[in-house]
Formats: sequence, C-alpha cells, structure tokens
Amino acid sequence: MGSIQIQQLTKSFGDTEVLKGIDLDIKDGEFLILVGPSGCGKSTLMNSIAGLEEVTSGDILIDGDNVTDLSPKERDIAMVFQSYALYPTMSVSRNISFGLEMRKLPKAEIESTVAKVAKLLQIEHLLDRKPSQLSGGQRQRVAMGRALARDPRVFLFDEPLSNLDAKLRVEMRTEIKKLHKRLGTTIVYVTHDQVEAMTLADRIAVMKDGQVQQFGTPYEIYNNPANRFVADFMGSPPMNFIECVVLDDKLVIDTQGEKHELHVANGDRLSQAGLDTVILGIRPEMMTEPKPHVAGALVHNIPMQVDVIEPMGPDTIAFGQWNSVEVQARLSPEAGVEAQEKGSICLQVDTSKAVLFDAFSGARIL
Amino acid sequence: MSSLTRTQRLYKALFITLLLFFALVYLAPLYVMLSTSFKGIEEIRSGNILALPSSLNGSAWTKAWSSACTGGDCYGLAPYFWNSMRIVLPALIISTAIGALNGYVLSQWRFAGSNFLFGALLFGCFIPFQVILLPMAKLLAWLGLANTVSGLVLVHVIYGLAFTTLFFRNYYVGIPAELVRAARLDGAGFFAIFRHIFLPLSTPIVVVSVIWQFTQIWNDFLFGVVYSGPGTQPITVALNNLVNTTMGGKEYNVDMAAAIIAALPTLVVYLVAGKYFVRGLTAGAVKG
Repeated sequence: MGSIQIQQLTKSFGDTEVLKGIDLDIKDGEFLILVGPSGCGKSTLMNSIAGLEEVTSGDILIDGDNVTDLSPKERDIAMVFQSYALYPTMSVSRNISFGLEMRKLPKAEIESTVAKVAKLLQIEHLLDRKPSQLSGGQRQRVAMGRALARDPRVFLFDEPLSNLDAKLRVEMRTEIKKLHKRLGTTIVYVTHDQVEAMTLADRIAVMKDGQVQQFGTPYEIYNNPANRFVADFMGSPPMNFIECVVLDDKLVIDTQGEKHELHVANGDRLSQAGLDTVILGIRPEMMTEPKPHVAGALVHNIPMQVDVIEPMGPDTIAFGQWNSVEVQARLSPEAGVEAQEKGSICLQVDTSKAVLFDAFSGARIL
Repeated sequence: MSSLTRTQRLYKALFITLLLFFALVYLAPLYVMLSTSFKGIEEIRSGNILALPSSLNGSAWTKAWSSACTGGDCYGLAPYFWNSMRIVLPALIISTAIGALNGYVLSQWRFAGSNFLFGALLFGCFIPFQVILLPMAKLLAWLGLANTVSGLVLVHVIYGLAFTTLFFRNYYVGIPAELVRAARLDGAGFFAIFRHIFLPLSTPIVVVSVIWQFTQIWNDFLFGVVYSGPGTQPITVALNNLVNTTMGGKEYNVDMAAAIIAALPTLVVYLVAGKYFVRGLTAGAVKG
C-alpha cells in the first residue's frame, strides 16, 4: 500500500517561496512523474515527501496517515538519488543491506533479501565489489537494489537516469517501467526530461515556479495541455505557437505574401470570445506533406517556404515561417528531400487537435 | 639522456649541486648531534666537531635516558618521557575525536549560526599561547587541575580543538550531502551515519590530525613549563633542565642524546604515517 495525498503544501527558503500550495493525490501503485524546468520546485517537493526537507505549511499523508512531522526513517520510503549516493566504503552487498541492518532485521532475512534483490537486478556477480569499481549503469542498479531491498510503501526517484549515456538511459528507462509493473509499488519520479515523463508515467504533474501547472495522464498532458507552458514543455520537436488574427470563426495565416484561412474545431466559440488575435498551438506532426485519404473541414493545404531541414531518420523536420514566426513541420524523409530541392512545400495542416491560447496570459482558450 | 644539450646538462648539474648543498646544510646539525652523542667526553673536548666518533660509545644515551640529572633528581629523561606520553595520548585522542564530531556537525548538520560558530572556532587557531597563560592558570586552579597531567591534557585538548575541527570540517565538506540523505532514509541516525559512513572514509584526515596534534603537544614547552608540577613535567621541560644542570663540565654527548630522544617520537610518527599526511591535507572530494 502506498497512496500519497499532498495538501496545500508550501515551502519557503527565507523570502523565496519555492512551493506555492501544491495539491496532489497519488493513488496506490501509481507511477507519478514530477516534471518541469530546473528551479521549478520538483526536487524540493520530492525531498518534502521523503522528509528530508521540512515544509512550511500543508500536509503530506501516506495511506491516510499524516506523516508531515515524521522523520524520513519513520515514513517507510526509499529513494534513488541522481548521484546514486552509494556508500563508498561499503561493498555492494552491504550497500543493499545497510537499511535492513539499521532496521535490525534478523541476519538470515537480510541475506535472503540481498540475494533476491541482486537476482532481480542481475547484479549477483558484483556483490563483493566497492562502488568505485562499478560502471555508471551498474551503480544505478545497485542504487535501485538498495531501495528495493527495503520493500517500502513508496519509491522516490530523483532524476536517476541523468548521469547515464543516451543508450543506457533508454535501456534503464524500460527496465524501471518493467520493475514497476512487476512490483506494483507507488513511484514518484522527478525528471526534467519530457520524454522520460511521457514514456514512464501513469500520470504526470507538470510544475513551474512552485506550482502544478497540470496533473494528468501523458495523453491528456500531450493532447489537452492546460496552458501554453505545458504545451511548450511537453513534446519534441515542440509545439508551434503562431499568433493569428481572428476572422469570425477562422484564423488567418500569412505566408509568402498570401493570406490563408484556417478553420478550427469549435470555431463558433472562438467567434463568441471576441478576441482580435490568439495564439494557435499546433504540433509539428499535424503539419505534414499532403497525404491521400485525409480530408475534412479541418484539413487545409497551406504553402510554406522551407529555410532549413533537419533529417531525424524516421522523419524530417522542416523549418519555415508563418505570420513571421518560425514553425516546424514533420515530413516523411522523401518529402523532406523534395522540399529542400524546391525550397518550399505545400503543407497539409490538420487543425483537429490544434489548441488556442490567449496571446497575453498563455491561458488555454479552446 | 643523450638528447640533452650541453647547456641543459650544465643546468641540471648545477641544479643537483644546489639541492645537495642545501640538503647538507639542513642535515649538518643532525649529523653533529648524532656523532657527538656517540663520542666520549674526552674525544669531544680534543677533537673536531665534524669528526666521526672513533668508536660507538652508547654510554651517553644510557645516561640521558636513565641517570642524567634534571635539576635535583637524577633519573634521566625516562620518567618525563612517560609523562609526555601520558599527556599526549589522551589529549590527542580526545581532541581528534571531538574535532571529528565537530567537523561532522559543521559540515553536514548545519544549523542557524553554525557558520559563525565555525568562524569563532577558527579564531582559536590564531590565539598565541602567551595570551591565555594567566586565565588558563586560574581556570585550572579553579577546577583543581593545577600541576596535574589531566590539567595539561585539558589545555591541549582545548587548544587543539580549533585545528582538529578545521581539519575534519574541511574534509567532510567534500563528502556529498546525498550520502547523508540516503543514510537517513535507510534509517540511520546521527551517530550511525557518523560511525558507518564518515569514520570509514576518514583515515587520511585522522592521520593528519594525529600527526599534527602529536607534534604540537609533544613539542610544547610553554604550557608544559607553566602548568606542570614537579612530578608531571613533560620531556621538553626535562630536556631544558637537563641541559641547564651542570655538575662539573658540560656533557655535550649526553645533551645531544637527550635532545634526540626527545625528538624521536615525532620523527617516528611522521615516518610511519607521513605519506598519509600530504595525501590527507590535499584530499578533495571523495569519489563514490
């Protein structure tokens, strides 16, 4: 069991308010990701859950028990640190067993737990080594082993993969997901990497300036962002933000000296809002080369001058300008080559998943 | 070697000659002391100070150790050697232990005002011995520790704490705070973290502290002469008395042997643990 409720949590360092009233309800067995740019308070929030940081006000409940004033030891939480924080003078096996020793478990039980965890993480051959004799990936495994051995109510992961090289990071990511599926223990995981957030999470809390901007499933966060910040933060290449003049229920795109009109879903609500301009948010994958069998009121054909292309392998990103703003379109590799040769492309733009933001506040309109 | 040009070879030769010269200058007193201590008194009077002894005569050493007169008593340096040990060892152990704990708190368990406290402690490194002589004498008398070994131990512990705290604090600052956090989540408390995580990492800095404190306390003369009684004088004070006590002619061979005996323990400590000394002083962050 390991549900967590965070209620109106605030934390200040002197005059600086780092957490400004956080409310989160994390279900038992859930994989929750805290994501946001550096300085957004995600690590402070995690340390508060761990009990390593005292909170200024608000409550933290684990399984309904208020643990706000309990020491880390009493919260039954295990954490994996960014630097792994392995005890340098202890062998791998002692690193794993240290927490059990401190809790005065019987020796036989400690030994069988270490053996079990080592087998699970495939580090049996490393048990007698010192942390300094391990590679980055092996240290990562030992750090996870130390957390697993305790069999806690909640696991906390503080950017655990950021010190690994790209390939290993992807491998370990999958491994962590498999591990979670197998153990079913609640995980709170901090990262600034939106790909990690999307791939791992059951739910994501996107944070900025000490506040939760949006709390939802990866699908909701990606397709239905609460504001411009969330839309911008999640997704790579990022969403295009194009300031457009509103013409009744349509938007105007100015490109290569011509004006084109864009229909959007729920256009009647746009015309009722009575705004002169809005920010159109549209993801690059909704701006492609013309594809057959795709048609409808929300599918348009609009040309774009191609300034630069960036082949990614499976697809190619084309950079151009609409309304004097840089936009990115996602083309097939073949279309990318053609677009570069011609210097322009007629894009097929699907606005069915486009979102609209207030030009000033960045708040979501439609 | 053959690739060196003539000028380079000349410079190298010059360089080595200079080094040898200074080494010689530096070692000359030690040589004189050693050779003199093995000469008989007649040989010293008649011979050259730089000449080697004609035969190895150990009688000056035996006399310096067990029968030379220091003031009124004629028991040699031996009793004072053990006095010094009885002062140095407890003072050394206590000041290193407390310094380690201080450093641990000041680096990893910061509290409001801990930086000020550290600054104030550092100030202790710069207070000259003479300044505290009188107030400390008062304090020792008040505590009933005047002229006792315990009193001298206390003085040296207090004076050494500033240094040992500085050593340990600066060493422990390099240990990542995440280690402490990890240990706290593992259920370890203040002392368990110190014992299981910090102490095993501390060998180099413990050695630094031990060498430093041993040398300081063993070599101390001022506190020794001021705060000791007749039966509790350390070896430095006894050496002074021995050299200044003359019955008939001055026995240079005994004086030299006594001086070497008095200096030997610090030399041994440095030779045994010296390689850690430099390593400990220069050690930076601890690699995990």
